[in-house]
Amino acid sequence: MKSTAYSHPDMPSDLSALTARELSLKARLAVVLLLLVSAGMTVALSSLLLTESALPLRTMIAFAVMIVIGLSWVGFALWLLSTRRVLLAADAVIASRMALCFCSLFFVGALALSLGTGKAAGFGAAVVGLVMTAAAALMLRRANRKHAALLARRAELERLLQGSAA
Amino acid sequence: MTKDSSPQRAALEDALIVVRCQLGERAAFDQLIKRWQTPLWRYARNLTGSKHAADDVAQEVWLRVLRGIARLRDGAGLRAWLFGIARNILMDRLRQQYAWPVSDEADFDSLAAADEGWAEHEIELAALQTALAALPLRENEVLTLFYLQELTLEQIAALLGIPSGTVKSRLFRARKMLRQQLDQQGVLS
Repeated sequence: MKSTAYSHPDMPSDLSALTARELSLKARLAVVLLLLVSAGMTVALSSLLLTESALPLRTMIAFAVMIVIGLSWVGFALWLLSTRRVLLAADAVIASRMALCFCSLFFVGALALSLGTGKAAGFGAAVVGLVMTAAAALMLRRANRKHAALLARRAELERLLQGSAA
Repeated sequence: MTKDSSPQRAALEDALIVVRCQLGERAAFDQLIKRWQTPLWRYARNLTGSKHAADDVAQEVWLRVLRGIARLRDGAGLRAWLFGIARNILMDRLRQQYAWPVSDEADFDSLAAADEGWAEHEIELAALQTALAALPLRENEVLTLFYLQELTLEQIAALLGIPSGTVKSRLFRARKMLRQQLDQQGVLS
C-alpha cells in the first residue's frame, strides 16, 4: 500500500506562527524573570513580616496578602515553565545565568541592608538569598552539563550519519 | 523522509533532529515539522475522514510536541512518540464527539483530471480511501500504522497497548475486510 494514496497537504502557514509563538525565547525568559521577581518579593516581604514585630495589624495583613499573591505568581511561573514554556537546553543555560545574577544581587543587597541598618529582616532575607543563590548555581551547573551532553550526542549522531552515508 | 533511507538511518536522522531541537536550534523544529507533518496529517485524515479535522489534530499534535520534546529521552523513538500523541488526541476527540465521523468525502477534484491514466489511478486511490474509511476504527488504524506509517508490529503493539499477537490478528482481519470492501466497489478484478 503506497503512502501516496492521499492528497499531499501543504504545510499550513499557521504552523510557522505556532512554532514562533511556542519557541519564543523572550516569552520563556519573561516567565523566568516573573519567577525571580515574585520569589524575591515574597522572600523580602516574608522577612519583614517575620522579623518586624511592631507592625500594625493592617500592615501585617497587607503583607500576608502580598505574600500569598507573590507565592501564587511563583507557582504560576513554575507551572508555565514545566508545561507551556519548557526551557530547551540553551534557554536553560541563559535562564540559570539570569537566576544566578538576580539571586546574587538580592543576597548582596539584603546583606548590605542588614549590615547598614542592623535590621533582623535584612539578615533573614540575606540568608534566604544565599540559599537561592546556591540553588541557582546548582541549576546553572546542571544546565551546562545537560547542554554539553546534548552537544556531544549531536556530534556523535552526525558522525554516525556521515559514516553510514559513506 | 527520503524513501531510500534505511530504517536505521531514518532512526539516526530522527535522533539527530530531536537532539538539535532539545538544544534549541530553531531550524531543527522547521525540519522536524517538514519531515513529519505529512505522515501525521495523513494518519489523522485516514482516521477522521476529514481534512479540516486532520488540520486541527495536526495543530494540536505540534503544540504538544513543541512543549514536550525537551523531555523526550530516546530520539530514535520519535516516530512512535509522534503517533502516540496523535492517537491520544484522536481518541480524545472521539470521546468528546461520542461518534465516529463517517467519511463520505471523495476526492472529486482529482477525478476531474483531464489525463485518463492519471484519473484512473486517482479513482482507484479514491476507492481505496473510501474502503479504508469504511473499516471499523481498530482495523483502519492498524492498516494505517503498518502500511502507511511503516511502523513495526512491536511499535504498533506498544502504541496501542496490546500484544503483538493481537496486532497480527487485527492486521489479518483488516486486510480481509479491506479486500471485501474493494471487491464490493469492483476495484479488484
